[in-house]
Amino acid sequence: MNLPARNLAAPDGQRRPAARGAPAASGPAAVSVASLSKRYGAVTAVADLTFDLAPGTVTGFLGPNGAGKSTTLRMLVGLAEPTSGHALVLGRRYADLDDPARRVGAMLESGDFDPGRSGRNHLRTLAVAAAIPDRRVEEVLGLVRLQDSAHRKVRGYSLGMRQRLGLAAALLGDPEILLLDEPANGLDPAGVRWLRDLLRRLAAEGRTILVSSHVLAEVAQTVQTALIINHGRLVATVAPAQLTGGPDALEDLYLSLTAEETA
Amino acid sequence: MTALIRSELLKQRTTRTTALLVLSMAGLLALVVLLHALSLKPANLTPRDGQLKVLGWGTGIGTLFAALLGALALTAEFRHGTIRPTLLVTPRRERVVVAKLAASVLAGLAAGILAEGFAAALETAGLAARGIPISFTGGDVARLLGGGTLAAGLFAAIGVGIGAAVRNQVVTITGLCIWSLLIETIVIGNVPAAGKFTPGAAAGAIAGAVQNQAPSQLIGLAPGLLLLAGYALAAAGLGARAITRRDIT
Repeated sequence: MNLPARNLAAPDGQRRPAARGAPAASGPAAVSVASLSKRYGAVTAVADLTFDLAPGTVTGFLGPNGAGKSTTLRMLVGLAEPTSGHALVLGRRYADLDDPARRVGAMLESGDFDPGRSGRNHLRTLAVAAAIPDRRVEEVLGLVRLQDSAHRKVRGYSLGMRQRLGLAAALLGDPEILLLDEPANGLDPAGVRWLRDLLRRLAAEGRTILVSSHVLAEVAQTVQTALIINHGRLVATVAPAQLTGGPDALEDLYLSLTAEETA
Repeated sequence: MTALIRSELLKQRTTRTTALLVLSMAGLLALVVLLHALSLKPANLTPRDGQLKVLGWGTGIGTLFAALLGALALTAEFRHGTIRPTLLVTPRRERVVVAKLAASVLAGLAAGILAEGFAAALETAGLAARGIPISFTGGDVARLLGGGTLAAGLFAAIGVGIGAAVRNQVVTITGLCIWSLLIETIVIGNVPAAGKFTPGAAAGAIAGAVQNQAPSQLIGLAPGLLLLAGYALAAAGLGARAITRRDIT
């Protein structure tokens, strides 16, 4: 009676840290991007991009503005159709997920709010559509520290407050995968610190997180793996913790890989 | 689907846009109906047809604002980017369009009954002020309230379809206003042979009155219903197709 129970417990206990430590861990990928390309007329926004995210990992998605980060995220959540290749979450197209809001939370750019609607009502319209109870709206408002401003129209929000409201919307369904596009934009230093702590907490709960940024310092201390993309192509996959060369190592590498963009 | 429709109804209630549109509708009706009722020659206003032509502004303006309410359900989301979170929660876009159709038709029905009722009240007051006897009947008003409301509901669906296809809010609203108040009104009044097949004239045929044309020149209740339902289906289909096929940038 005791033996099978111990045997069951052991691999389970090993699986979580293994999955978090190494993106290449076996098992179904939380996010799977393969040979993904997107062309808009003559412009190639994403070119033959391939990467997998293992469950429970925190990954940075780095690149200059216009490198193709946002386009990739839009294809992952079905807003844009790939020209070729595929972008899957939990092994499926986003639109084919049964209850997408509870599986994947995404925050795309800032400013996806009706300025004439209050922050709380913005979240309520989404919660009602996803059959998420009002109680959860209050929970996420507390989580992003917006409960005192939630009754006000978004028109009066600072950029940082809008970012936090977007984050609250992404967290509404308590999803296992978080896709965050430039979440630190517009946050003040205290806000950036708060975001970093929140991301660490969310990661510690075993969620898979992909966070894009063009500001390295924001993500270097949070992510296990950084995907660096430029001109729509993946140019490097690095583990910031394993880079030698001191605190500037990731920045040095990034700048050398994206040199012509920033020169 | 009930949850999605409730979400769309909540969106209508949680900004001031809906209330502002209804107020604008009331203001425009007051201006247009009183202008006609107070300034037309008594000889033009005394016959029943003349009075129905003025009452018909309730149909014209009610259906226009129903279409605007429907169009805004999509163009406001494109304008502010909320279409993205909306589609993240409901990635099957045709479901979002169906929910918006349902919520907008409800709002359109409300706009229709308000417009027809208000127009009838305004004209009654205007005629009374000039001592011109009322020649339209209680039956006319009942037909306006029932038919005009139904027509406005169908116009809301037309608005959803056009908003989904055009996406740009200013272009959509300006286009709908110019079409309804200017082009259609002129065509209905001056080229009745073709004008009676416009969506506005079809609405007039259902309601029994439209601006600028005598009811006898319209195509009648059943053909009007068929024609307007056809327009609504075509517009909604076009909009759903545009939403499901094109990227959201």
